[in-house]
Amino acid sequence: MVLPYHLVKVCGNAVFAARGSDIHSFTSTLEYVSTWKYPAQQREESNGPSAEAQDSPAPEGPPAKRRRVEPGQGPASNGHRADSANGQPKSKKAALYDVPANERPFVQGLYATTDGRHLVAITGSDKTIWVFEHDGAGNLKQLSQRAMPKRPCSLALTPDNRTILSADKFGDVYSLPLLPSTTTAATALSSAPTPSGSEPPLAEPKSRSETPSTPTTTAAFKPQADELTVHTKRNLKALENQKISLGRRALQEQLNRPQFELTLLLGHVSMLTAICVGTTTTTTTEGNGGGEGRKVREYIITADRDEHIRVSRGIPQAHVIEGFCLGHEDFVSRLCVAPGGKDKILISGGGDDYLFVWDWVRGQLLGKAGVLEHVKGVVGQEAASKVAVTRVFACRWEAGTGVFVVVERIPALFRYELLSDNTLHHRETIPLPGNPLDVEAIETSSAATPRLLVALYPSEATEDNSTSSSLMALDKEEAGWRQSKVENLPAGGSDINIGETELQKILYSTESLRKLSDFD
Amino acid sequence: MGGDRIKKDKRQKREDYRAAMRKEDISELPRKKFYRQRAHANPFSDHQLIYPPHPDQMDWSSLYPHYVVDEPQDQQTPAALPETAPSDHDLAPLQPKRISKDVEVADIGCGFGGLLIALAPTMPDTLILGLEIRVSVTHFVEDRIKALRAQNQDARLYRNVGVLRANTMKFLPNFFRKAQLSKVFVCFPDPHFKARKHKQRIVSATLNSEYAYVLRPGGIVYTITDVPDLHEWMVQHFEAHPSFERVPEQEQEADPCVGIMRTETEEGKKVERHKGQKHVALFRRLEDPAW
Ligand SMILES: C[S@@+](CC[C@H](N)C(=O)[O-])C[C@H]1O[C@@H](n2cnc3c(N)ncnc32)[C@H](O)[C@@H]1O
Repeated sequence: MVLPYHLVKVCGNAVFAARGSDIHSFTSTLEYVSTWKYPAQQREESNGPSAEAQDSPAPEGPPAKRRRVEPGQGPASNGHRADSANGQPKSKKAALYDVPANERPFVQGLYATTDGRHLVAITGSDKTIWVFEHDGAGNLKQLSQRAMPKRPCSLALTPDNRTILSADKFGDVYSLPLLPSTTTAATALSSAPTPSGSEPPLAEPKSRSETPSTPTTTAAFKPQADELTVHTKRNLKALENQKISLGRRALQEQLNRPQFELTLLLGHVSMLTAICVGTTTTTTTEGNGGGEGRKVREYIITADRDEHIRVSRGIPQAHVIEGFCLGHEDFVSRLCVAPGGKDKILISGGGDDYLFVWDWVRGQLLGKAGVLEHVKGVVGQEAASKVAVTRVFACRWEAGTGVFVVVERIPALFRYELLSDNTLHHRETIPLPGNPLDVEAIETSSAATPRLLVALYPSEATEDNSTSSSLMALDKEEAGWRQSKVENLPAGGSDINIGETELQKILYSTESLRKLSDFD
Repeated sequence: MGGDRIKKDKRQKREDYRAAMRKEDISELPRKKFYRQRAHANPFSDHQLIYPPHPDQMDWSSLYPHYVVDEPQDQQTPAALPETAPSDHDLAPLQPKRISKDVEVADIGCGFGGLLIALAPTMPDTLILGLEIRVSVTHFVEDRIKALRAQNQDARLYRNVGVLRANTMKFLPNFFRKAQLSKVFVCFPDPHFKARKHKQRIVSATLNSEYAYVLRPGGIVYTITDVPDLHEWMVQHFEAHPSFERVPEQEQEADPCVGIMRTETEEGKKVERHKGQKHVALFRRLEDPAW
């Protein structure tokens, strides 16, 4: 099975693209530089034997399990080589400890600091956040690997590039330092958070994964009720079970505890799908001096599967909800704060037929722009009745702001324009030779428009051309769009043992956020 | 077979009874046994819930019909939309009929509605809303309110109380705007003893931010439970939340709502019969700090 590229990220002067569990880097002119491979073996060692001992499945699926690899079934390579040991006999040890390629977690998110010096990645089933140092030329050095309590769905970086905000499947947002300091990791584990009126509970370093905000640690391990207070049979039973499992659970919690600094900032009771950071700048007249000052405020914007977009204050007051942007009637899957001086404008998309345009500071809906109607233009009037927006990406475009939209399983890119009156208009539909999975812009100083880089799943995958055509550059020229395949892509990725259905499930996961409405 | 038959008869009876109760002008109080439902509903699952996308689109007129404002339809201006907004899209959904007041008091997980019914006459000018996730329990409270309104027509009682089926853990901001509420009651919430289920608790560090959002500064969260550890949990989580402070005991005991909460909730009565203890704690919503 040949894997397509499914994520792209521009980071300083380099471009990163993820294929399966690998990250490839390119120059800004799209020359291949190097590959980071998911370090299967190292991961196994760092997890130690406990990984197997606590094999109880978490609700969202257990981390990648260790399996014996049959010879010839998958690659055992573990270094930074793009080529796996094709045809070479694998060492017995490697075969024993390697994670089969099809069980390696896919890279599910790529993020870059604004200075381009760090790349951050999420891998899926192992719930891990990876931080890499980037040398500016496309070479990555892995700095940290942190397994989160729940699966991260979306990340954002604070404007100072020092903190990662991780929005997870259980609805919580955690902050963690981009560069973990070794000392805090130790204290976070040993010191129990103590209840204190003055200290915000949501801003304490948390070491417990299940109830990160519980101010007590000792009380959590004693039964939560006594026989006197239990007055139903059901509760009594629960209490009994609780007593039995106390020892086991204490051990379990100990094992589950993340060993790094992790702070719970806020939470929805719903799966989070997107997180981004917004800032406002206001001019203030300061005190008696009368001097003018600029006040910059940071906000955290989060979206969930239950149609909410929440606007909270930034750290250290993330417990204060400033407002909501409400109006979606189906899941929200993407958020995009407009660039270039239009940072009070938020564009959101998801399972609704429209994109929504918001003044997110005031929680006000400014307008909508149709998506479904243009999808019908691609696949036919009858063939589409709903959409799942998977990307909303904005960038400089000519003299204004371009907004590029990807819809799941639709072989086209939709270009919108955000006008100065903040209305959003569809401008053109760009047909593509496959379903786009991600889009980014590569700035070129000369052209009126940046170059677009699209990762796509080619419609006709043939053995020899499919990898090369899964990464494509689009240049807007006077005659129209010039589409060029990125050439000389690294080999590998064709040795992945994953079925078509399984792959599609990973690549097209957004529509599954829609609720089934016909049962209770 | 016989069992099936009995079950069916029972269900039929229940449905007939409840259909009869739904008829207008019924002033007979509903009987609980026709409305029972299993004790727990999972707050994480997608129930077929009805909720407005935005509080402005909530139609309160059917819950509080006596407060409906008569105004000509075309006088209603769609909320918060500039005239430049494209007109071909349904930017402004139909505006619901307006009522003259906003709901100010919410009972989270109101159960069979004892607290609502007891509170209503004590604050006749304030709209009170019960929110309950279980469908038939909600129906019971609806029928109970309807019957009480009919019985007390002359005294104009119970017109200020209503009930909604809702999952408050997910959808509070769909019903209430920022700082809309002055009181939120959380009475005898489900304890969820297991640590694994603590995220299901209706009081948590992250949910408390939502209670803070719907409450105005100075507003009060009222909590009561018979489970000491849950009491401790709620106290710790509210006290540790920067948006709340605990109300001193003296002030707590002087608040007439506290007495009502102790004696008039169904759970409170049950605990009374079992001679259990009741733990009360109140928390005041503080002003947000400058930033
Ligand atoms: C133990 S009962 C207490 C009822 C009432 N407050 C009393 O004191 O008699 C808890 C109630 O909360 C309801 N509930 C639990 N989770 C809820 C949620 N997420 N939204 C609304 N109601 C909920 C339950 O269905 C149940 O009726």
